[in-house]
Amino acid sequence: MQHTSWHWRLFKGICLALISLFFLFPILWVLLMSFQTNEDILRVPPSPFFTPTLDNYRALIAGELTGAGSTLKIAYMKNIWNSFVLSACSVLLSLLLGVPAAYAFARYRFRLGENIAFTLLSFRFAPPLLVLLPLLLYFQDLGLYDTYFGLIWVYQLITLPLILWIVRGYFEDVSPDIEHAYRIDGHSWLRSFLKIAVPLARPGIAAAALLAFIFAWNNFVFALILGSSDVQPVTVGALAFITASGIQYGQIAAGLVLSVIPTFVLALVMQRYLVEGLSLGAVKG
Amino acid sequence: MSFLILDRLTKSFGALKIFDGLSLSVNRGETVAICSPSGSGKTLLLRLIAGIYEPDAGEIVIDGRPVTGLAPDARGIGMAFQNFALYPHLSAFENIASPLRARSVAAPEIERRVRRVAEILKIGHVLQHLPRELSNGQKQRTALARAIVADARLLLLDDPLRNVDAKLRYEMRQELPRVLREFEATVLYVTQDFREAMALGQRIGVLCDGGFVQVDRPQRIYSDPSTIEVARLFGDPTINLYDSQLADGVVSLLGLGLALPGCAGAARRPCRVAVRPEHVQIAVNGEAGERAGLPVTIEAVTPLNQNAVLLLHTAAGDELLATTTLQRAEALACGPREAVALVRPEHLLLFDRATGARIRTD
Amino acid sequence: MTTQDMTQAAALPARRRSGRMRALLPYLLSLPALVVTIGILIPFGTAVYYSLQRYNLAFPFTRGFIGLDNYAQFVTDPAFWNTVQISLLYTVVTVGVELALGLSMALLLQHRTPVNNLLSVLLILPLMTAPAIAALMWKLMTNPNFGVFSYLVGLAGFTEFRWASSPSTALFTVVLVDVWVYTPFMMILLLAGLRSLPRQPFEAAELDGVPASFVFFRITLPMLTPYIITASLFRMLDAIQQFDIIYAMTQGGPGDRLMVFQVQAYLEAFTFTNIGRSAAFLMVLWAITFILSNLFIKQWLKLRERTHRAA
Repeated sequence: MQHTSWHWRLFKGICLALISLFFLFPILWVLLMSFQTNEDILRVPPSPFFTPTLDNYRALIAGELTGAGSTLKIAYMKNIWNSFVLSACSVLLSLLLGVPAAYAFARYRFRLGENIAFTLLSFRFAPPLLVLLPLLLYFQDLGLYDTYFGLIWVYQLITLPLILWIVRGYFEDVSPDIEHAYRIDGHSWLRSFLKIAVPLARPGIAAAALLAFIFAWNNFVFALILGSSDVQPVTVGALAFITASGIQYGQIAAGLVLSVIPTFVLALVMQRYLVEGLSLGAVKG
Repeated sequence: MSFLILDRLTKSFGALKIFDGLSLSVNRGETVAICSPSGSGKTLLLRLIAGIYEPDAGEIVIDGRPVTGLAPDARGIGMAFQNFALYPHLSAFENIASPLRARSVAAPEIERRVRRVAEILKIGHVLQHLPRELSNGQKQRTALARAIVADARLLLLDDPLRNVDAKLRYEMRQELPRVLREFEATVLYVTQDFREAMALGQRIGVLCDGGFVQVDRPQRIYSDPSTIEVARLFGDPTINLYDSQLADGVVSLLGLGLALPGCAGAARRPCRVAVRPEHVQIAVNGEAGERAGLPVTIEAVTPLNQNAVLLLHTAAGDELLATTTLQRAEALACGPREAVALVRPEHLLLFDRATGARIRTD
Repeated sequence: MTTQDMTQAAALPARRRSGRMRALLPYLLSLPALVVTIGILIPFGTAVYYSLQRYNLAFPFTRGFIGLDNYAQFVTDPAFWNTVQISLLYTVVTVGVELALGLSMALLLQHRTPVNNLLSVLLILPLMTAPAIAALMWKLMTNPNFGVFSYLVGLAGFTEFRWASSPSTALFTVVLVDVWVYTPFMMILLLAGLRSLPRQPFEAAELDGVPASFVFFRITLPMLTPYIITASLFRMLDAIQQFDIIYAMTQGGPGDRLMVFQVQAYLEAFTFTNIGRSAAFLMVLWAITFILSNLFIKQWLKLRERTHRAA
C-alpha cells in the first residue's frame, strides 16, 4: 500500500483502539463488577480500582443471594446446568440425526431429500414464535411442556439445519471414488460411512457442532415459552433473577460472567472452525 | 469356461444410452485390455462390473456366479482407480491392508502380505507415509498394491498409468505383466493409449458406440481391424484413409487403380480405402521400375522413434503419410522431392462408406 | 440341478435384498430429518389456522373461523403500522451500521500481523454472548444510579440521558446493543472474504500506482460484493425478527416505542391472550422472512459453490 505514511498508520491505530474499546470494554467492565461489593459498584465516580472479592460467586454457587435485608433462594447454578444439558443433548441428537441425513443429501440426488433440506433451512430463518405458539398448546397436551425432552426436541430447529447444511458441503467435497474403493475392498456400507466418510468430513462436523452448541446455549425464546423454572437455561434464568428486586449488582454481574464463560472458551479454543460455521460453510476460515 | 461374462449389458443415464447390449467374455488368468476413444464408457463399464452402478438390463457373471444386484463388497474384486482414490487419512500400509482387514485376516498375515506386495511394487520404504506425502508414482503403486493384495479373483484397472509421468509409465508398462502374472489374476485393463493396450493385453477389446466392435489378439486388431474406428485408433501415425469406389474388383487409391482378386465379381459400391503408413513404399529416381505407383512430392520428413514419417502430397493436393527407416529418410531428404508411392493391393483395408464396417477382400 | 444353478439360486434372495436396500438407503438415512421437518410443519399449519380465527383464551366461547378478518383489521390498525415501521427502521439501521462498521474493521484487520490476529479473535467475543445476556450487560452499564455509561454521558453533559427508559433514546440503545453483538459477525465474514480475494488485481494496481480510493471502490468493493450481500441478508433475516435484546431490555417499551414484530406477537399472545391476532402478526412477519430467506439461500448457495470449487 502507498499509504504507509506515519499519520495514516496512526489514524488506523486510533480507529482500531476505539473499536476494540467499544467491543471489549463492556465485557471487561462486567467482569470487574463481578468482583466488587455493592458499595464499590455504587460509588461515584465508577472506578476500576477496588479490593476484589469472590463473595458474589460464592453466593451464586451456594444459591443463596443477598436480597434487600433477606436471603433469596435462587438456583442459578441449576440454570447453568440446564443450559449444558439442553445444548449438549441437542447437539448430540442433531449429530446423530443430521450427519447421516447430510450424507444422504450429499450422495444421493433424490427429490424428497432436497425438499427436506430446504424446508429445514427456510424454517431456520422463520420467526420462531410462529412455531412456538402452537407448540406450547401441543406440548401442554402431550406433557412435554417444561421437560428436557420437549426442549431438546424443539432445539433441533436451531441445531439440525446448521449441521445438515454445513456437513453436507463437506461430504460433497469427499470424492465418491474413495468410498467406492473402500466398498470394493470388501467393507460394508456402514463401515465405509464410519471409517471413510465421517473421518474425512470431520472438520465440517466439528465446525457445525461447535456453532450449533453456541446457538443452542445462547437461545432465549424457546425456553422462555416452552419451559418453566425447572428446565430453564441460563439466558432465561438470568433475566428472571435480574428482575427480582433488591439483588446485589455484583451478583448479577457474576451471573452474567458465568453464563458466557462456556461459549467464550469454545470460541477461543475452536476459533478456526467459527468462520466456516457462521457462514454455513459458504466462506472458508 | 469363461471366468468373467458380460451378457448383453444395457445402461442409460436419462436419455443418454451408454451401453446397448454389450457382451464380453474373459478367460481365467487372461488380461484383456479395453481401449477406445474417450467418452465411450470404459470407466463406466468397470464400475458396472464392480457394482458401483447397476446395469439397466443384462447379467454379469464372475466365476460362474451372477453378481448383478450384489453390493461391491460382495463381489470379490480388486480395482485401481484412475485418480488413485487412496484414503487420505490412512498410511500407505493401511491403504494396502484395507482389503485384508475387510476379510478379517490375522494381523501377522496382513503384515506379511502387505510387505510382500510392497516389495514387488517397490514401495516398501514409504509404507508409513500418508498419501499426500507420496509422489504420483508411489500413489499409483499403492493403489495397485491395494487392488492386488487380497488375491482378488478379478482385477479392474482403470487407466492406472494415466496420471503418472512418461518415464514411469514406460517402466510400469514393462513391469506390470510380470506383477499380474505373479498374482495369477484375471484382469480388465482400461486405457486410452493403444500402445499400452498392445503391450499389456493378451487380447484387446475395442469399445465403441455402446458395445465392443472387436475383441481380438493385439496383432489381429492392428492388422485386421473390423471397423474404421478400430483402424484409426491403433497405429501411429494414424492410418491413411480416403473415399473411394470399388468396381469390378478394382479399387482406386487417390486415382491409382489397384486390383483385388477376391472382389472380382462384386457389384459397384462406394467405400473407403485405408493403408497403413508403413505399407506405403517410396520410390525415387526410377526405382519403381514397371510397377504402377502414385506420383507424389515429399513435403516433410519427421523422425519418430526408430523411423521417420514422410508427408506426401499428390498432384491433386491429397495428403498421404508413409513411414520408412531413418537412413532411408535421410537419403530421401537430400534427393529430389518428386517420388512415386507404391502400395500392394493385399495391404489395403476396405470399409463400407455408410457403416464403417470392414469389407473383406480375400 | 447343476452346481452353477444352485449357487445362482442361493445368491438370489441376497441379491434382491441388497438391491432394495440400496434404493431405500437415502430415505432411511434422512428419515429422522423428515420427522423433525414434519414436526415443524404441523405447528406451522396450526399457526396459519389460528391466524384465520377469532381466538382469545380469555373468551373461549367466541372462538371461531373468521377468514382474513385478523389481517383486514391490520389495514386500519395504528399498532400494526407502528410495528411495521419500528421493525423496518430497526432492521435498516442495525444492518446499515453493522455493515459499515464491520467492513471498516475487516479492512483494518486485513493483514495477518500478530496484533490483528489477536484482535480478530477477541472481537468475536460479543458475538459469542447470548443476545439476551448482552442486553442485561448493557442494562447494568446504563443503570441511572451506577452505570458506567450513564456516568460517562453525564460527564459529557447529557445529564438527562435515560438510555432505554426514555422514548427518545430507547431505539438508539437497543440498536447499540445489536451493533455490539452482531458487528463481529459482519467483520469475520467480510474478513474471510477479503482474505480469499485473488491477489493479482491488487498487485497490478500497486505496480501501476493507482490511488487507494480507486482500488477500494473499483476493485475491493466489487469483488467483495457477494460476501457483503450474503452477510447483509443473513443479518436482515435476524434483525427483522429481533426479540431477545428488546424483550430483555424493555419488553417493547417504553410505551410502544420498541414494539417489533415478535415482541408485539409475544405480548398479544401471552399478555392479551389474543392467539388469533398474534398468529396473524407472525404470519405477516413470516411472509417478509420468506422472501428474505429465499434471496439469502440463493446467494449463499452461489457463494458456497464457489468456495467448495476453489477448495
